[in-house]
Formats: sequence, C-alpha cells, structure tokens
Amino acid sequence: MSRLDPRGVPLGSIPARAGIGLRFVHHDALLEERPAIGWIEAHTENYFHDGAAPRALERARANYPLSLHGVGLGLGSADGIDRAHLSRVKRAIGRFQPALVSEHACWGHVGGEFFNDLLPLPYTEEAVALLAAQVREAQDFLGVQLLIENVSAYVAFEHSRLAEWEFLSAVVEQSACGLLLDINNIYVSSKNLGLDAHAFIAGVPAASVHEIHLAGHARNGTILIDDHGSAVCEEVWDLYSRAIARFGARPTLIEWDTDIPALNTLVGEAARADRVLEELHGLAA
Amino acid sequence: MASLRELQRSFAAALHDPAAECPVAPPANLAIYRNNSSQAFRSALEASFPVIRARVGDDYFGQLAHYYRKAFPSRSGDLHFVGAKFAGFLGDHLRDGDYAWLADLAHIEWSREEALICAELPAVGAEVLARFTPEQLESLVFTFQPSLRLHSSPYPVFSVWIANQTPGASPVDQSLGGECGLIRIHGESLEVQPLPPHLFTYLYALDDGETLGEAMERSGLDEPGFLNALGFVFSEGLVTNVSVKSSMDGG
Repeated sequence: MSRLDPRGVPLGSIPARAGIGLRFVHHDALLEERPAIGWIEAHTENYFHDGAAPRALERARANYPLSLHGVGLGLGSADGIDRAHLSRVKRAIGRFQPALVSEHACWGHVGGEFFNDLLPLPYTEEAVALLAAQVREAQDFLGVQLLIENVSAYVAFEHSRLAEWEFLSAVVEQSACGLLLDINNIYVSSKNLGLDAHAFIAGVPAASVHEIHLAGHARNGTILIDDHGSAVCEEVWDLYSRAIARFGARPTLIEWDTDIPALNTLVGEAARADRVLEELHGLAA
Repeated sequence: MASLRELQRSFAAALHDPAAECPVAPPANLAIYRNNSSQAFRSALEASFPVIRARVGDDYFGQLAHYYRKAFPSRSGDLHFVGAKFAGFLGDHLRDGDYAWLADLAHIEWSREEALICAELPAVGAEVLARFTPEQLESLVFTFQPSLRLHSSPYPVFSVWIANQTPGASPVDQSLGGECGLIRIHGESLEVQPLPPHLFTYLYALDDGETLGEAMERSGLDEPGFLNALGFVFSEGLVTNVSVKSSMDGG
C-alpha cells in the first residue's frame, strides 16, 4: 500500500517499469502466458463484489504487483463523496492490497444522479479547495495516499482561472495526494481545447508524479475522443519521452478498453514503454 | 459568479437537454459527454440483459434503455446495479401486451447478474440430519447458497433463456406454457435449471423460511417425492446450514 516516507517518496512495490491495465478478457491469458510485464492495474469498481472476477484478480495479484484505479468516486462532486462507494473502495483495498490507489480529478454526480463518466471541473480556487478537501477525506478514510489523474476534456468552463496543471499542482499542495499523469489525456485535451501540452508537462510538480498512463484515442472530425481503443500514437510517445526525461523513470501503464486486442498487443506496447524508460534512465528493478 | 454546485447542476441539465444553457466552450462538445453517459448506462444494461437485447434487437433495446434511464437514473458510481429495477419497469411498460413475458425473462437475467457476484459457501451433506432427533426433523429450517434465486412464470422463460445461449436462436413457442426453476452459481459456473412444479414449490417454501414439514405440506409431495426432493437439495450442494426453527421465530 502506498504510504509516504519522510522524504515524501511513496513506499510501494510498483516498479518504475511498464504494466498493463487488466481487463476481464485477459484474465485467463495473463495466467497462462505470464508475460514479462512489471505490474498490473485493475478498475476498482470491477472488483467490488464476490464471485469469479475477484477470485481471478487474486490469482493475478499473486504474480504481479497491483494498482487499483477507480473510475466512480468523482471526488470533485460538489454534493460530496458517496460514502457507500468509498467504503467499497476500502474493502477492495483490504482484499487486494494494492501498491497504488488512484482516482480522477473530475466530478460524476449531482442531485442524486450519477453520470458514470469523468466530467470536467472548472479550474477555479473553489474547485481546488473542494477537490483537495475531498481527496483528504478519502485518503484519511482509506488510509492510503491517492494518486489523482488528469482527465481528457472536450469542453472548458468559462469560469476557469487556472491552467489545468496549476489546478492539479494546487490540489497536490493542499491534499498531499500524488499525481497520475495520463499523457494521452494531456494530448487529447490540448488538441481539443487549443492548450499547450508541453507547458503542462513542464509545469506539474515532478516529485508528485508517481504513475503515468498511456492509451490510444479516436478522431471524430477535428475532435479527439479518448476511447482507449487503439495503439498509443507517435505524438503521445514523443510527449511520454519528454515527460520521462523530466520526471525520471515512473511506473507506466498501457490502457486499452474498447476493441480490446490479444494480450500480446498490450504487452508489445508495454515493451515499447520499457525501452523508453531504459534509454532515458535504465530500468528500475 | 456561479458556485461549483450551480455549474455542475447546469452541466447535468445540459446532459439531459441539448437546449439547456451551460457556460462551457465549445458548447457543441457537450454532446460527447451526453453520449458517453447514455452509452455507459446502456452498455451496463446490455451486459446484464443480453438475452432481452438479443430478442428485441438493438433499436428497441436502445429505446427501452432510454426510457428506463429517464425513470430510473443511475444512483451509483458503480454501474453494476443500474439494471436492478429493469424487470419491474418492463412489467409496467409491457403489461397485458404480447411481450409481457420479457419482464419475466428480465427477472431471470437479473437473478443471473446477482448470482454472479455471490460467494459460493461450503455445502453441508445429508449426514447433517443425523444430528437431529426424529421429532425435530419436521421443524428443521434450511439456509441455501447465497446465489440461489427461484422464479416461476406463466411463460416458458427458462426455455427462452436456455435457447438464447446460442447466437441466432429461433423464438421459443410461447404456447409451451409456464415454467419454474432456479438460478445459481455452482462450481464457479452459472446454472439456470427448470424444475418440476412440486420440487420448485418445496424449494421456494424452504427458501422462504418454512420448516421441512411445512414445505412438504405446501408442495403436495408424497413421501417418495419428499425424499427425492430432500436428496436433491443436498446432492446439488444447495444447503449451507440446517437448524431447528425456534418457537421465537414466529409463524
């Protein structure tokens, strides 16, 4: 489980290597093929309950370090945290003993209705304060440091007064959370909203970045859609190299959620990320 | 300036109504979020009700999902439970029509969904009965596996479900009449099994907390039938605990 040592470095067992997002369709193949990947990440909500899925994750967990990645808490929701959901996250942490636990810098519910999507926040001081307070509340309850991930955006609030990286930096400062930087999301948002992806990577506090996500996106006319349905594009690989050059070697995840290919395709993408890590920093054990 | 909550309320309104005002740029891109949230809901519903979707087709299933979401929006960041009220919704929506049987099929599919997330507990064998005196046998109550679900329908919905495990299944002849049966997890696999009516009634009574004596009377089983039924619940690994009903448990 990720905890801070006195230097602010998370003590976990996720190596600074490439891993893959584990989806149901790959559970059997992962156990049979035992690919040489550094770690796995699973969506927390998929393992909230009993039955075959959590048993399969326990078997996978016996072979690979695990990160749990939540998609449903929406910690930026002004209506507050869904405590029942948070309790289920805590139960999953207790059951699977992940080395990292992450959520998103987004909101997801209002007035009792949940949208089951990663909805964008306005980048204001008010939203920083609310998200930071709720991240602290969640961290206190869960007993772990959370990593917060930047989301892909298709719109920007007219009320925003901060750049996204300034917003995330302020949340880190006020909540002592870490950051999970999704390089594809930075790219998608920068193209959709005319932002500077390089300024984002140059601006966030490097020591707070504890994990990186890589994925593919789709193009719909002039809009990029973060569908996790294809290989990582060359522009995102370039941004990833810049990020690793600045941040140092970081655990890096290949995500694929739609039109999911055979496991070895993901393993091939992970091997490419490993080569970037090795060229720039040498692989951590 | 609008508060964060006000901004989120206006965003939510725009997710339901393209004409609603929301201070974002470019506003046309709100359609992406509108589509994402309705697709997430529909996909979760489709994962829970694959046979309904196969029987009614993509377009009609999409319409059902749309109206169902209006009536019963998601109440959790965990999409697993969005289908909990779908069978009841279909029952209200399709009552007395030619497709009323879809609601009963939905009950079976939702039971499958519930069973899939249940733990399988160690079963006890028939030898457990030796712990009780002959006088106590009539007053025994059984606890069944948490995944066990029992359904009866005036339509042949078990046959429909079973036939549709193969893609491109032909429609089942509705004149076959009603069916009853069980859904459960057994040896890590899902089992959907039609049962003879007497056996079903007997299981239903036991699952409802009735004693062995009461269940025998309610099911109308004769002695050989009763012994077969008793053998069935143990040999199938359905029983996880047996105890004597306390007089404090009430009638």
